[in-house]
Amino acid sequence: MKKVLIPMIALLVGLVTLAGYFLPTQLGPTLTIIIGAGILLMSAAGLIGIGYLLHMHIMKLVHKERGGFFSLIVLLFFLVALIAGLVLPPGSAFYRDLILGVQIPIEAALLGVLAVVLLVASLKLIRTRGWTPLSIGFLSSALLSFVFDLGLLHAEPGTLSAELLDFLRGLPWLGARGIILGMALGGLIVGLRVLFMIDRPYGEE
Amino acid sequence: MNWSLIGWIFIGVSAILLALFTFLFRSGKGYPIRKTEAVEAYKGSQVASIEEGRARQVLLGESFWTYVYPGLGLQALTIVPKLLDLETAVDGGMSLSGGDGSLAVFARQIVDGRYQDGFSTKLSPIGVRTTLPGVTPLSLTAGLLSELSLRPYGSLALLGHYGPAALLLAETVIDKGGRVLGTAGTLAAQAALFPSIQNLLIGEMTYMLPGLFKKSTGHQAAWLTEDILRVLLILGLIVGAILKMIGVL
Repeated sequence: MKKVLIPMIALLVGLVTLAGYFLPTQLGPTLTIIIGAGILLMSAAGLIGIGYLLHMHIMKLVHKERGGFFSLIVLLFFLVALIAGLVLPPGSAFYRDLILGVQIPIEAALLGVLAVVLLVASLKLIRTRGWTPLSIGFLSSALLSFVFDLGLLHAEPGTLSAELLDFLRGLPWLGARGIILGMALGGLIVGLRVLFMIDRPYGEE
Repeated sequence: MNWSLIGWIFIGVSAILLALFTFLFRSGKGYPIRKTEAVEAYKGSQVASIEEGRARQVLLGESFWTYVYPGLGLQALTIVPKLLDLETAVDGGMSLSGGDGSLAVFARQIVDGRYQDGFSTKLSPIGVRTTLPGVTPLSLTAGLLSELSLRPYGSLALLGHYGPAALLLAETVIDKGGRVLGTAGTLAAQAALFPSIQNLLIGEMTYMLPGLFKKSTGHQAAWLTEDILRVLLILGLIVGAILKMIGVL
């Protein structure tokens, strides 16, 4: 029963949602209910997710695993944030400053580390991937983009060199569009695969 | 005719092609199977990790749904059943992590559904772990980074939607001798991972992943449909560019 029922519900919801785009007047109210239910489900899952997070850190403390001290800090500050969030009003400037005052410096520090790691990774590109057309293309594109973005190269508007410069500056966007088009195509096929029950992550295969 | 209608025609053609090929391939005549080096290397690293007693981590992404890349969360979840086999559960070294409650919950559901028949938790009390190391992109990175630093990880699979911060995770695993499979992610993540990771799938290749792990007639039909759509899209772009050049569009 479960093998049939769950895929059927998924198929029905998917088809109704899709049909809702074609028939917005007729299926509008149904679509609102489906989307509302989806948002509710996602929110409930979000809460359960936070439960997972707490469970993981509590278990680390209980089993005295390595890094337990950090788990203690996480739990402590989670409680502080939770209590402050419940006690203070939703638009409290103090609460916002309290959270952002911690979050922004930590995230900035992590991004700083990321920048260094990215630089090191770029330097060892050839060692990792070797001299392949793809790695040479990647490296030369990155270098040329840097040069063009510096803004040192200028050309008289309306001339051939200005056209050429604009074309070269736009090349990274062309590449990005190509990849995004490919991903959109892939995304479409994933949706259809789930709708046709070729992929059934929600049940048994 | 407007662009929206063209989009719907495209979706309709895709659906018809997929249904047609799925039906045709049921007779056993399929589309040639592709072997992707990245996936084969990842499968090898799974076996090696189990033999060496090292843990394996699968990151399902930062969020289940995003406006720019709406299919990535779902894509990550469709791969999960292909990664779960008996050895994986018995060994107890695999963790599935997500930065979104819904990803973690759905992953747990898939794991429970997968092992509900013919598998006793007495055999392995751990099974496959699902965790949520952080609820924002950078807290996810920080949480997972500490987890990856504490234990030796043999492999890391980066699935779903994530940003360039995933590079920190990848470098941590690589430094400890582990192997990384990078798929999907944002454009910035793909660019950031390219210099570091050998096994990286970009663009539409990412969406072929479930069939690369375990083939089925449905996946073969999806591959052929995707290939035909790619050709149609390329032709459409060329024709569109020509029409624009001559001033029709």
